[in-house]
Amino acid sequence: MNFLRRAGVLVGAFFMVGAAHAAEPLVTADWLQDNLEKPDVRVFEVSVDTGVYERGHIPGAVHLDWHTELVDPTRRDIASREDFEKKLREAGVTADTHVVLYGDNNNWFAAWGAWVFNVYGIEASLLDGGRKLWEAKGLPLDTAAPQYAASEIVLPERNDDLRARFTEVLDIAEGRKQASLVDIRSNDEYIGKVFAPEGVKELAVRAGHIPGAENVPWGSIVQEDGTFKPAEEIKAIYAAKGIDGSKPIVTYCRIGERSSHTWFALKRILGYDVKNYDGSWTEYGNAVGVPVVNVAGTVWTGK
Amino acid sequence: MKSGATRTLAPVVLLSGIAVLAWYLHGQPGGRDLSFSLLAGAAFGIVLQRGRFCFLCNFRDFVEKRDPRGLLAIVVALAAGVAFYHAVMMAWVPVPQPGRLPPNAHIGPVGPVLAFAALAFGIGMAISGSCLSAHLYRLGEGSPSSPFALIGAGIGFFIGFLTWNPLFTLAIYASPAIWLPHRLGYTGTLLVSLALIAVIGLLLLRFSGNPEPAAPSRYDLRGTAGKLFVDRWPPVTTGLLVAIISAIAYLRVAPLGVTAELGSIVRTAGSASGLLPDTLHGLDLLRGCATVVKQTLLSANGVFVLGLVIASFAAALAGGQFQPRRPTNRDVGKGLAGGILMGWGAMTGLGCTVGVLLSGIHAGAVSGWVFLIFCALGAWIGMTVSRRLGKAAPAA
Repeated sequence: MNFLRRAGVLVGAFFMVGAAHAAEPLVTADWLQDNLEKPDVRVFEVSVDTGVYERGHIPGAVHLDWHTELVDPTRRDIASREDFEKKLREAGVTADTHVVLYGDNNNWFAAWGAWVFNVYGIEASLLDGGRKLWEAKGLPLDTAAPQYAASEIVLPERNDDLRARFTEVLDIAEGRKQASLVDIRSNDEYIGKVFAPEGVKELAVRAGHIPGAENVPWGSIVQEDGTFKPAEEIKAIYAAKGIDGSKPIVTYCRIGERSSHTWFALKRILGYDVKNYDGSWTEYGNAVGVPVVNVAGTVWTGK
Repeated sequence: MKSGATRTLAPVVLLSGIAVLAWYLHGQPGGRDLSFSLLAGAAFGIVLQRGRFCFLCNFRDFVEKRDPRGLLAIVVALAAGVAFYHAVMMAWVPVPQPGRLPPNAHIGPVGPVLAFAALAFGIGMAISGSCLSAHLYRLGEGSPSSPFALIGAGIGFFIGFLTWNPLFTLAIYASPAIWLPHRLGYTGTLLVSLALIAVIGLLLLRFSGNPEPAAPSRYDLRGTAGKLFVDRWPPVTTGLLVAIISAIAYLRVAPLGVTAELGSIVRTAGSASGLLPDTLHGLDLLRGCATVVKQTLLSANGVFVLGLVIASFAAALAGGQFQPRRPTNRDVGKGLAGGILMGWGAMTGLGCTVGVLLSGIHAGAVSGWVFLIFCALGAWIGMTVSRRLGKAAPAA
């Protein structure tokens, strides 16, 4: 009996720590406006343009810096459990908190945030349409940094089922493992006309894509105002490419942040089995001796 | 055009034009910042012109005539701006943690290159007769040397981009961006900044030549109009207004600065023509008047400078202070030579008397203080050498 009770406590603790709050994938701006004051709702802004958060954020939103708080600033990796846990404790996030993320740049980095939260066991919602839609609707912004009573949340270890690593992607590319690869970059990058979009610094020294990858640019599942298309439409767009959730899926882009956006749609909105490959093309396209499909045939000349 | 029309109608038309453009920009996608910057630039231009807020002219008035009024306006602008900026920074970054700086604040790298750049800038402003912000408002007064100083500054920026990479690997890479609140906290920074500014103010008053007080004017329509549109605004008013514009501009869009757009135009043209190196090491990561390769026609700093020039022109017209004169060879030579030095200094030091000195000191940046010291030293050297050569700097 005693043993059973102890086991029950253990199982309960596991769920408190591991499962945390299960949230709807998307919330609307109006819903967020109505629920901002609720103590169990915690909003995070993940904007990458400097000063955007400070000059006006959704009232009460906490800033998450993509370059230092959602990634490891030294090695190329997502934020360590210790650092991320510390940040969430400071923001007063508990196992019962409904986390809502939003940001600039079409929610790309907020979606990366949602993926990192998920890797650490917290299912966060995205504000559909992100910062742009909130501003376009003329909803209020605040400039003060909020203060919350610290929490004691304990994060579980990383859930590797949500994250693809290089060797696994290579296994898929070389046919040792069955999975669908989704390349969400522009078609010009996919077919190898260009190495990267104009103006970006992180490059690969080979152009093209991973063998077997289907090209579904991230923007094809987004509406004019920045919100996601209805789930049925997203499903149809992917079904037309032969991706219907019957096989595991791996999404990738250039550095893994835009592909988080598609990961979010496929995993959280459609409920498919999806991993995000955060190494993406800047890892794969720089790797030595791996197969590459380069339709355009552009050759790297160092210029 | 009759004088009445020049002094009333033309300024009203110019300022209305700014208002209409601001309204138009506000309605464009992403245009809120542009609209605000245009209006802030206009306000800044009016205050600069009406208060004669020219770093070099004020410095020279004190050195040569012991008239402290202009420098007192700068002292007030620094002190009030430090206080206002802290109100903003303490809301945005409640705890000054290591490795974190308030967003966009002009906290530049501190090292020998900054000192040298500020020195060159100071000498350049003594030769050309004004700093860059003052040349912009003096365009509207019809100054014969200002257009050449601005052309010279463009050339100086170009030279600055060419010398950037060697200077970066020589010293700038190891120059830390020192933010006083990291070392002293906000309270300590406020106290130390205000104490230093108070010492400067006390020294100015101690060595003041006690200039003639302005003639008293009546508080009727004519007297008030004269005070507002013709007389130079009193130093405390000017200083406070500069501080308010500085802090509000920082709160809404970006710290004050007048060289980013000029530098960006030069960099874009230089990169496009292949005359400048493709990579300028570390430049885009440093804080200050950022020069970027232009992607869009209008930038916040561009419309800020546009507002500044048009509004100061309007203010000069209203005050009867638009007095254009055909430039002499000497105006051209001094403008170009001083402008080149200022342009090189502003590129290498990541800003000028406004972007580094004013916005830097306001934000608690050591770079602002270093610029203040070496720029003043340069101006003093420039003025002294000019005097010795028997050629007084042109009257501002």
